[in-house]
Amino acid sequence: MKLREYEGKRVFAEAGIPVPMGRVIRSVEELGDLSAFGEEVVLKAQVDVGGRGKAGGVIICPTAEAPARAAALFGITIKGLPVTEILVEERLPIAHEYYCAVLIDRSTRQPVVLFTEAGGVEIEETARTDPDRIRRIGIPPLMAELPPFAVRDLVGRAPRALGPVVAALYRAFLVKDALLAEINPLVVLEDGRVLAADAKVIVDDNALARQGIQRNRDLTEREAEAERHGFSYVELDGEIGVVGNGAGLTMATLDLIEHYGLRAANFLDVGGGADRERVAHAVRLLASSPEVRVIIVNLLGGITRCDEVALGIIEAGVAQRVIVRMAGTNEAEGRALLMEHGYEMYDSMDTAVGAATEVRT
Amino acid sequence: MILADKKTGVIVAGATGRQGLFHIRLMNEYARQVGGAGVVAGVTPGKGGQEAAGVPVYDSIRAALKEHDADASVIFVPSGAAGDSIMESAANGLSLAVAITEHIPVHDTMKALAYARLCGTTVIGPNCPGLLSPGEAKLGIMPPHLAMPGPVGVISRSGTLTYEIVDELTRAGIGQSTVVGIGGDPVIGSTFTDVLARFERDPATKAVVLVGEVGGALEQEGAASTSLPLVAYVAGVSAPPDKRMGHAGAIVEGGEGDARSKIRALEAMGVTVASRPSEIPALIRTFL
Repeated sequence: MKLREYEGKRVFAEAGIPVPMGRVIRSVEELGDLSAFGEEVVLKAQVDVGGRGKAGGVIICPTAEAPARAAALFGITIKGLPVTEILVEERLPIAHEYYCAVLIDRSTRQPVVLFTEAGGVEIEETARTDPDRIRRIGIPPLMAELPPFAVRDLVGRAPRALGPVVAALYRAFLVKDALLAEINPLVVLEDGRVLAADAKVIVDDNALARQGIQRNRDLTEREAEAERHGFSYVELDGEIGVVGNGAGLTMATLDLIEHYGLRAANFLDVGGGADRERVAHAVRLLASSPEVRVIIVNLLGGITRCDEVALGIIEAGVAQRVIVRMAGTNEAEGRALLMEHGYEMYDSMDTAVGAATEVRT
Repeated sequence: MILADKKTGVIVAGATGRQGLFHIRLMNEYARQVGGAGVVAGVTPGKGGQEAAGVPVYDSIRAALKEHDADASVIFVPSGAAGDSIMESAANGLSLAVAITEHIPVHDTMKALAYARLCGTTVIGPNCPGLLSPGEAKLGIMPPHLAMPGPVGVISRSGTLTYEIVDELTRAGIGQSTVVGIGGDPVIGSTFTDVLARFERDPATKAVVLVGEVGGALEQEGAASTSLPLVAYVAGVSAPPDKRMGHAGAIVEGGEGDARSKIRALEAMGVTVASRPSEIPALIRTFL
């Protein structure tokens, strides 16, 4: 789950990384006395999407104008999301912008720390056009701290005051079960002070519970509802509902739907042991979406009981057309039950998805 | 055949849970069928002295190894303790640990894998269905009736999609040497590269099917590392960016790891890529 900027900065502050003076507000009234912030302030919309700067979500203004500008910012939406929280910060006199991040390298199975003097811009762009400007060091996962040489090599000839920030970012990455901890830009001010001007922290979804995070904000309402049932669910924008078991098989089903020129409405993996109740839940969940026209159920596995699955589909009794492909034990019984209730069943996923392209007479 | 054979004795960690009990039974049914060693003991801390699906349970792997010969563990321990179970397997000298458990925090996985590497233990998974050498050994949860012995190795990040493809191969009369589910997490103990290196040394394996997914670049790295004939399939051509498609590792991040660029990279290396699972048997047959 992505933390919002102010949450990320709280994580940084706890780890000993200096952050700008700031305050989170949920209404203009909460602005309060801004005299400590100086002549100018920065208002930053806290929305869970990227590209807020270009969408007008970051405003620099004289402190006196902050109430009016904040009121206007609360009134806009950014990529469809309303602005409900604003981070108010001091305006920083920046001398130079750096970039520092810790992330996980799948190939070497370890954290990698990145540092570059070219901060403040799209790091992906720098990585493409000028990869030598990014210094990177992999750290063996059994290390609890960055070794001093790694900090020296990363920071290079940049101001030495950046070293402790790099070391602290690594600690925060470990302590918070992060998949990514990124400071962009990491700034040196005109007076030599070092601050994290922005914060991007992504916490491992598998570690939310032990990090004390109750709800994964990255999920929509329907996705969260599905997760409570133990389903993996992603909303898409087509009209074919999909229930599969296993992430790979479900993805392959979506791909096949695209292959046949149709568009999937969702990804839904019911997980292992697809029984009557879970299948009924899954089919009903999809049917509740007004966009879904046809539902394809694709279940495969040695231990899937086809008669149970069939009863689940019949129990759900949804209005939409349901096309079933399943293989497992008691296949014949399952097929008989489905036929009896007027459902279609196919042996292969190709024919099942292909059937969805034909208008049923 | 790679990683396990009839002689491989197995300890199941997390033996007394629902999954553990169920799969000890299925693994030993298969072992009896093929005349293999199968699961010789179970481990659940605090439950030593009990029995699980017909095998004796011990408090620790150390205690189990005092009474039984075993080379491998299959881990069903809940996610919070599964990393520890990988380390326990490694510390006790098992040569192979197969971690079935899903939802292990990735920091736990990284630590456990680093520890296992220091001990020289091979880890398959986590978040995987394990491995199956048809007619020889089953370590994990794959349904063996879909498989048959033969010359094709299968390496897959998926579970049920692997069964789908094994089923397609078997129906086409093409058997498998070993089917390895390497797991759907972003960080896994054995990558395509690691398993391909084993297939390369296995005289019974003539060609390999790689079943990949969106996320990362392990498929390309694997293909670049081997001289074996390969047919690849990559799931997730229709997956939107920044959405986790069920598996923790199946996510297109920062524009990287999408299926189309993976397929392009594989084809550029001369790998045959199937656009649907059903195309795989005909494509792999050209290499046999």
